[in-house]
Amino acid sequence: MTTTIDATDQYKIKDLLLVGLIGAVLYYVGSNYNVPDLDLIAWILAIIIPIAMYKRGLDVDKLKYSFSLSFLSIISYLYVFMVLLLRLPGIPKAIAILLTPIVVVSFIYSLDTYLKERKTTRQKIKLPFSKRAKAALYSLDALVIAFLVIGTVMLVTFLLAPVLIMLWNAFITPPGTPFYENFKTIFTTRKYIRLITFGESPWSFQYIGDEKVLVITGVNYGVLLNSLINSVIVTTVATVLGIIVAFVLARYRFPGKTFLRILALVPLFVTPFINSYVIKILFSASGPISIITKNLFGFGVQIDSLAGVTIAQIMAFYPIVYLNAYASFQSIDPSMEEQAENLGAKGFKLFSTVTLPLALPGIAAGSIIVFIFSLEDLGAPIVFQERRLMSYLIYSGFTSETGVISPELAALGFVMLFLAVVSFLSIKNYVGMRSYAMISRGGRWKPRERKLGIKGLLIVYLLLLPLVIWTAMPQIGVVLLAFNMMSPTGFYIHPEQVTATYFLELFQNPNIFIYIKNTITYALVAVFIATTLSIIIGYAVSRVKIRFITSALDALSTIPIAIPGLVIALGYYFFFATLFRGTPLDPTSGPTVFQAWIVLIIAYSIRKLPFVVRSVFAGFQQVHVALEEAALNLGATRRKVVFGIVLPLILAYIISGAIIGFIYISTEVSTSITIGSLRSDQAPMTYYMKNIYIGGQLAGIQYVAAMGVLLILFQLLAILIVILGLKQSYAFIGA
Amino acid sequence: MTRIKLENVTKIFGNTVAVDNVSLEINEGEFFTIIGPSGCGKTTTLRIIAGFELPEQGKVYFDDQDVTYLKPYHRNTAMVFQNYALWPHMTVYDNIAYGLRLRKVPEDEIKKKVKWALELVDLEGVEKRYPLQLSGGQQQRVALARALVVEPNVLLLDEPLSNLDAKLRVEMREEIKSLQKRLKITTIYVTHDQLEALSMSDRIAVMNKGKVLQVDTPTNLYFKPNSLFVASFLGRSNVLDGRVTSTLDDHMVRVYVDQLDKELVIYTHGGIETGKVHVVIRPESFELVEDLPVGENIIEGVVDDSMFLGDKIEARVISGSAKLTIYLANKIFVRQGQKVTLRIPPDRMVALPA
Repeated sequence: MTTTIDATDQYKIKDLLLVGLIGAVLYYVGSNYNVPDLDLIAWILAIIIPIAMYKRGLDVDKLKYSFSLSFLSIISYLYVFMVLLLRLPGIPKAIAILLTPIVVVSFIYSLDTYLKERKTTRQKIKLPFSKRAKAALYSLDALVIAFLVIGTVMLVTFLLAPVLIMLWNAFITPPGTPFYENFKTIFTTRKYIRLITFGESPWSFQYIGDEKVLVITGVNYGVLLNSLINSVIVTTVATVLGIIVAFVLARYRFPGKTFLRILALVPLFVTPFINSYVIKILFSASGPISIITKNLFGFGVQIDSLAGVTIAQIMAFYPIVYLNAYASFQSIDPSMEEQAENLGAKGFKLFSTVTLPLALPGIAAGSIIVFIFSLEDLGAPIVFQERRLMSYLIYSGFTSETGVISPELAALGFVMLFLAVVSFLSIKNYVGMRSYAMISRGGRWKPRERKLGIKGLLIVYLLLLPLVIWTAMPQIGVVLLAFNMMSPTGFYIHPEQVTATYFLELFQNPNIFIYIKNTITYALVAVFIATTLSIIIGYAVSRVKIRFITSALDALSTIPIAIPGLVIALGYYFFFATLFRGTPLDPTSGPTVFQAWIVLIIAYSIRKLPFVVRSVFAGFQQVHVALEEAALNLGATRRKVVFGIVLPLILAYIISGAIIGFIYISTEVSTSITIGSLRSDQAPMTYYMKNIYIGGQLAGIQYVAAMGVLLILFQLLAILIVILGLKQSYAFIGA
Repeated sequence: MTRIKLENVTKIFGNTVAVDNVSLEINEGEFFTIIGPSGCGKTTTLRIIAGFELPEQGKVYFDDQDVTYLKPYHRNTAMVFQNYALWPHMTVYDNIAYGLRLRKVPEDEIKKKVKWALELVDLEGVEKRYPLQLSGGQQQRVALARALVVEPNVLLLDEPLSNLDAKLRVEMREEIKSLQKRLKITTIYVTHDQLEALSMSDRIAVMNKGKVLQVDTPTNLYFKPNSLFVASFLGRSNVLDGRVTSTLDDHMVRVYVDQLDKELVIYTHGGIETGKVHVVIRPESFELVEDLPVGENIIEGVVDDSMFLGDKIEARVISGSAKLTIYLANKIFVRQGQKVTLRIPPDRMVALPA
């Protein structure tokens, strides 16, 4: 199917928006001056004219292939749908009319291409379905069919069903209200969306004791918008930071580069709660920033509440973008940039027209992970006590006195899921369309690297180095806290007080060690399940050629990356409370009956499945199908092929997948502290860390830090085994 | 030794017909080649014979047994893959012994057979090495040994030489051919290389877009192609337009060739009596005539350009409005602007229905 670009593409996307704007203004004027007819006219205008434009020739490709526009059209669909469903008036509706032309055009374009494609395939081949099915099924034998069935049943039961049951609960409304009441509450009440504020300032000068302190708290536009604003800012800043650090490290050579590269990865060590706590100290009235500003301007600086969450998340998540961007820059064929230079491009022009666009798919994959992580993060909101966020609100449902979760939270969970999955899928779609970074002449090349001049060196050492050290501070602080070298109240270092008491007590105190034991046991069992499932699904997806089934299985096994842990927690809560009512698996059965460990293990193995699947799947892709067919041809059965040829060949991939899975599971926060709070003696480490942190005793911080150090050791060991022992790449997240 | 028969086989992938109603008969002990451009369905046909794909329509027979639904591991064919498909985690010995172990052959017997197979492919003393420690040519030989050691009924070769360099390719070509002759095993060979096909095969099937266009001996395919595609796929050809003016006998017609403005006597497959035709002339079919021209099929032209290619001279000759490519012996030098007289034997040209 080809689309010709010629003079008939006379209308551009901006013309569409213009039509929408006219409609929006018409409607808005009409509603303000009580002319209801204008409403109808505006809609007709916004629907009919774009269709006419499409028929006469519209530059649709732009809508399809431009990243921002294809994203916009997905958002527009959802937005218009939501506004119509909830019958929102005023400005929200005007915006919906503004977006309608885009929705209309992308809809008829999709319909048009679908119909055209159907027509061409219809003409070509006429063959009874049964014959095709028979030929397709022929390639499957008992083992492969078993793989397909097990994989599908597991994912449908423990991934799809919980989410659907959560959605079902979201539609349980008080009698006398419409079925969408819970969603209407979320989109209309001031608790969630608070467009008019009372002139609160995002910052203010306060006196703490006799010291003047600039306290930055951030805004409050209601739970839904707060979450969105926070995540958008975190994603944007993290992306820009990540790109800058990655570009400098990928393209320039300077003394201390290796040190900087390693240091930049330090924030990736997950130490739940305690790293946010160190960040809170860093930005507190007695932190290092305050000391500097006090000396310079005479007042301290404290970052708190939403602003604190934002800054903590930026510091924790930007290396995800950095890693993806670095890999993308490295994978660009140098001849691409050389050709551009040869034609006269240089400096920022070269970067913005060739380098960045080529690296963008990889960067986008990292950014979207940051967006989802930020949306569902609980560590920073709990530490900064920011309750006006979606994540905190859902979490608090689990810790309420009653232990019963309201349908409204189910609806909120669904909204969160929607935001995460839609943005993930649209990015994935975009990345899929734009993976031209891979297109090259093949062969190996040396990535471009240049020596840095004096000006560049100054920038690196005066700006980049302090930045990277600063973002590594939380993990450094965790270690200092754990060994009592830093006081838990402020940023004061006391090297003489060093002690391993707290660290040793983790193992000696049975009341603490039980949590470590829980985590390790659960992680081991969950990793075993996830690895087995990964092998089953990975083999089925990479070898079975029935597109409909394998692509569904593939999607189901990767999508948990985009599903917030809190949504899994909510889904599992409703799933087990509905289907296992009255059994020990029912979360509402009380803190002595409920068997949290089973629910946690299943949740872990499904939620972290993508990380294991990816490694195992990469293994299967390395094994050429011919290696299996050669064995089949010589008389081996499928079972012999899988267990005798394929699995031994990809053993390294399986083990590294399992190790990576173990790390992700042992550091998991959101399901651990929510499901765990329903049965505290079966809860894992991260639950204990949160609990002790909230408990507020001084020494508690240091136990949390000691656990953080233990987790860092786990991760360090895993990285060393995977990279040095198995010679695999330790894939963190994204891309 | 096995006779293979494909009956109206059709295989569809998604919306493309990979193999379109193909019928073939391959005789016992025959070296049969399937040739065609990439994507023509030749490899799929081979995979259907091996049992990796089930055709949507049609049947496959080994001798008189219907094997269409027989799983690949029950067919006793042995396939050599394009990338050799040697298992990298097994030694050469284990690779070759794999099929024997599945057949429950006792280990001391296996030892003998592996030794025999390695001698057969002229590769001894590498039993303990791993495939990645071998050169491409050696890997090829191991793959061949692994296939032959199980004494298969049918040997299937899927472009086995395409990953080798030019010199090695010629060497292996001869070796495979002589092995096949010695073992008298029914062999199906898939390639896109016309030299391989022409030099090794007893018979060749030319495929394009899923269809078998012609099945014949190498010489017949070359000199008597039944379609423009076969003519241009195997070797080079000059293609001219013409129309039949009279029929001489079953295989000879008189054709007026538009571009030459001349009547020529030309071979046909029969069945052409009137109407428009394509005239296919191989570059080496032209004979340079020194004396005064007498008889049929004489044309005159002017040399436009000539290139020395080592074993021959390639000249471009303009005759009428046609620009002909002709090969001359490498001792005959022609210069630009020289007038030449050429004769084309009737059986070295083919008239194909347009």
